[in-house]
Amino acid sequence: MEKMSRVTTALGGSALTGHTMHCHLDAPANAISVCRDAAQVVVAGRSIFKIYAIEEEQFVEKLNLRVGRKPSLNLSCADVVWHQMDENLLATAATNGVVVTWNLGRPSRNKQDQLFTEHKRTVNKVCFHPSEAHVLLSGSQDGFMKCFDLRKKDSVSTFSGQSESVRDVQFSIRDYFTFASTFENGNVQLWDIRRPDRCERMFTAHNGPVFCCDWHPDDRGWLATGGRDKMVKVWDMTTHRAKEMHCVQTIASVARVKWRPECRHHLATCSMMVDHNIYVWDVRRPFVPAAMFEEHRDVTTGIAWRHPHDPSFLLSGSKDSTLCQHLFRDASQPVERANPEGLCYGLFGDLAFAAKESLVATDSGRKPYAGDRRHPIFFKRKLDPAEPFTGLASSALSVFEMEPGSGSMSWFVDTAERYALAGRPLAELCDHNAKVARELGRNQVAQTWTMLRMIYCSPGVVPTTNLNHSVGKGSSCGLPLMNSFNLKDMSQGLGSETRLDRSKGDTRSDTVLLDSSATLITNEDNEETEGSDVPADYLLGDVEGEEEELYLLDPEHAHTEEPEYVLPQEAFPLRHEIVDTPPGPEHLQDKAESPHVSGSEADAASLAPVDASFSLISVSHALYDSRLPPDFFSALVCDMLRFYAEQGDVQMAVSVLIVLGERVRKDIDEQTQEHWYTSYIDLLQRFCLWNVSNQVVKLSTSRAISCLNQASTTLHVNCSHCKRPMSSRGWVCDRCHRCASMCAVCHHVVKGLFVWCQGCSHGGHLQHIMKWLEGSSHCPAGCGHLCEYS
Amino acid sequence: MVSVINTVDTSHEDMIHDAQMDYYGTRLATCSSDRSVKIFDVRNGGQILIADLRGHEGPVWQVAWAHPMYGNILASCSYDRKVIIWKEENGTWEKTHEHTGHDSSVNSVCWAPHDYGLILACGSSDGAISLLTYTGEGQWEVKKINNAHTIGCNAVSWAPAVVPGSLIDQPSGQKPNYIKKFASGGCDNLIKLWKEEEDGQWKEEQKLEAHSDWVRDVAWAPSIGLPTSTIASCSQDGRVFIWTCDDASSNTWSPKLLHKFNDVVWHVSWSITANILAVSGGDNKVTLWKESVDGQWVCISDVNKGQGSVSASVPEGQQNEQ
Repeated sequence: MEKMSRVTTALGGSALTGHTMHCHLDAPANAISVCRDAAQVVVAGRSIFKIYAIEEEQFVEKLNLRVGRKPSLNLSCADVVWHQMDENLLATAATNGVVVTWNLGRPSRNKQDQLFTEHKRTVNKVCFHPSEAHVLLSGSQDGFMKCFDLRKKDSVSTFSGQSESVRDVQFSIRDYFTFASTFENGNVQLWDIRRPDRCERMFTAHNGPVFCCDWHPDDRGWLATGGRDKMVKVWDMTTHRAKEMHCVQTIASVARVKWRPECRHHLATCSMMVDHNIYVWDVRRPFVPAAMFEEHRDVTTGIAWRHPHDPSFLLSGSKDSTLCQHLFRDASQPVERANPEGLCYGLFGDLAFAAKESLVATDSGRKPYAGDRRHPIFFKRKLDPAEPFTGLASSALSVFEMEPGSGSMSWFVDTAERYALAGRPLAELCDHNAKVARELGRNQVAQTWTMLRMIYCSPGVVPTTNLNHSVGKGSSCGLPLMNSFNLKDMSQGLGSETRLDRSKGDTRSDTVLLDSSATLITNEDNEETEGSDVPADYLLGDVEGEEEELYLLDPEHAHTEEPEYVLPQEAFPLRHEIVDTPPGPEHLQDKAESPHVSGSEADAASLAPVDASFSLISVSHALYDSRLPPDFFSALVCDMLRFYAEQGDVQMAVSVLIVLGERVRKDIDEQTQEHWYTSYIDLLQRFCLWNVSNQVVKLSTSRAISCLNQASTTLHVNCSHCKRPMSSRGWVCDRCHRCASMCAVCHHVVKGLFVWCQGCSHGGHLQHIMKWLEGSSHCPAGCGHLCEYS
Repeated sequence: MVSVINTVDTSHEDMIHDAQMDYYGTRLATCSSDRSVKIFDVRNGGQILIADLRGHEGPVWQVAWAHPMYGNILASCSYDRKVIIWKEENGTWEKTHEHTGHDSSVNSVCWAPHDYGLILACGSSDGAISLLTYTGEGQWEVKKINNAHTIGCNAVSWAPAVVPGSLIDQPSGQKPNYIKKFASGGCDNLIKLWKEEEDGQWKEEQKLEAHSDWVRDVAWAPSIGLPTSTIASCSQDGRVFIWTCDDASSNTWSPKLLHKFNDVVWHVSWSITANILAVSGGDNKVTLWKESVDGQWVCISDVNKGQGSVSASVPEGQQNEQ
């Protein structure tokens, strides 16, 4: 639990010390009051009236003021107050309307001093004048307030609130003659003690009874009032009209309110019912309590700060018959538990982030991100540890967008909309999709499509002489399927996701993990067996700046069907003279676990631009001639799909799955496919791409998916006889037990195509109805409806 | 890498505790200490206040959008011990249900995957987690897990809907036999995984221990093309863990420390494709993390090296990889 450390206030050299502690009373307390020495507290209730000494570790009962054999109603206290100037003087308000004063200095056991029996009903509140030793004020349920001079037998003056019960009376600390009173009807009145005829000022403070009020000890014009409307309001009484300064919204009706000493904006409240906790509020932070004391198990009835200049110790009495001393530092602080930040990853990769405003403010002065769209992710804000609870807290809410490639989902939408998934030859689909991907800057994906095309489509006539494409000179070769990529661009587009996670244990586990600044993938495959009719040449370009390494891969693809075809080595120009390449092939071939005879280096095709930032991929067209069965690649393609799916690009997985159809379907288990489909469809729907989603459902080869379209289609049919909705399946109406699918023209049961008017529910054989409508637009059943068929 | 497109003027009068975007990413709901929940239309970078929902009597800690197939429904939970479910009908937002079954502040709400129907999990400071299931006609059935977390539960997050076996193997005409699971994080420093038994009771399935202080947030990653289950958790102790379970049958979860921050980490949030994790901490910074090829989590948010103070949060080695 978080604890706020607070130094015990020094009080004229002697500091108050103590612990959070409680003691059990014999009976529920109604009110408490502290002696001015801060060492004793009086507890009063219906059947309790005791003084306790507040010691270091415990409360010690000092005096029981309830004496006498039979308890008098005069002792049933609604309120008690200890004079702040005279340690021996106390006053109680009795539930029978009597105001009693007590003199602790009396030598006898009975300390009762005076008895004023002027109020007719319960006295709710008594209050001593802050500076005048003999002046006592009382407020009663009977609607009157009385001022007593303790030297006289009767009240000096009576104030009539001209309204309902008085709930609280409090002498102003600022003005000698002023006191405030609060009423059950929501009013607050301000009186001059010299003028009992009428109040100085009156205003409506609350909706419903105002149970309590308290003058601010320092800001003397401030009056806090608490009401049944669960609010505490702070009024500035110095102005001509009482001005509402603050309004604290508590959880339950406010029974007591007490300003916290030495803390200008803090006040403590307790509730009359439901809520047993004591709260300390910062009035500038009206919604969250600054501190909360949760010790009591029943309604807290009295609260008092132990010393008028010490903000740490709060005493409380409760209906649960306990007296407690609370230490502020032991309070639970809901604010500390409160989450100061909100964070949400939006659909489009945007990020909503709400953070405390005070933190934002320190940052906004710096404006480090103005004009720089690339870096604003970090917005560090400093919390001022000295003042964890300053003022009104507020939050700034910002929405951040990702730049393409890093997390934005715009590519997803574009891609989904533009991809062609069916209706054209495979080669065209692949080319189209590759083009789409390339235009969106997704080179890895584009390349994948291109390779898929190469793998699964025979390319037509390819000049055999161009078996090898030197990458550096690629453009001069003028080949139709030359792919060149600027790796720098690519790596940006792909971010750190650029990797091809080949099936583990495969050939190039080392080369796969390249520096994320540049990675390339190839669909080379080493799993095939002996024989090599055609070398498929892939260049793996790694542009790690310092090394300028180029990996040359020359897997030789087996083709068992054409074993006799062996390509003469001379056909392949050797290109190994090109810089720095040697490590490539050896390196890879060493790693290769495939059983194939590593192609002689002569077979290796070549390449190699030396420019570190620019590399190309070349794919030998010879591949096409080989007529490798596409099956041959399917394991690889499946791995590729899984890779994309794992990267979160389920779109690619599903698109390829659809485009390739039967070619790869069987190699991926049904469940995985379903999962991809459902994930992709769900994503499409989130992006409101209903058409694409529907197309995907339609094209899906998975049974569970393609039935989704049917599952969401409902036909509502009415019986043609009774016109009521057909509830059961089939064509027999539950209600009139007739077959509903009768042709209105030929009066036979329709089997096959049934057409009906949605207006009158009549219909019949499609042919018959069509013929009928040529002659008449009215319903053939004779119901007179002008039937409409669309 | 990231830029502010919109600073939403929420005009909340106090601190905002949560902001959630809806299913289509068009609306943003915020909740604040000022007891209100606000809904903004944030399409095309706009920010139009659609609704200002009043009904809570204390700070509102969290909001959650339900799947749109059930209409526009928002749940909110508050310090006032209540959970309120709001619904939009004919363009106006109204309270449709109020759940008052908790004895203390309700800290977290989360809707179950839509496949299960409307089910809301609520985690409270009273240590209990309650599950509200809509049974039709305005009725909500309540199940309560008492003492889920001693001292209190801070966060709940549902596992994505997963069906054992293929969809077509399911008995036709019935609802597929989903295994419902969710994760919760609490003041006992634990993350717990809960599973609904066949009798409809919720049982604690796993206890994930790694944090040394209160767990502030847990987020179960969406399952998009991923063969594994992944949970992110963050804590008062400044640490963020990524929990993965590769083998559903053995149900063993292994934690991987994403990073140790210098301050409390309040939130973790997965991107829609579950490959990027956003983390926000007490130092008021959002960082984005992504798993690298070798399985390490790297901070991909662009560290502005010119501002020295920032780099402390990202270890040197990871910066280089970016």
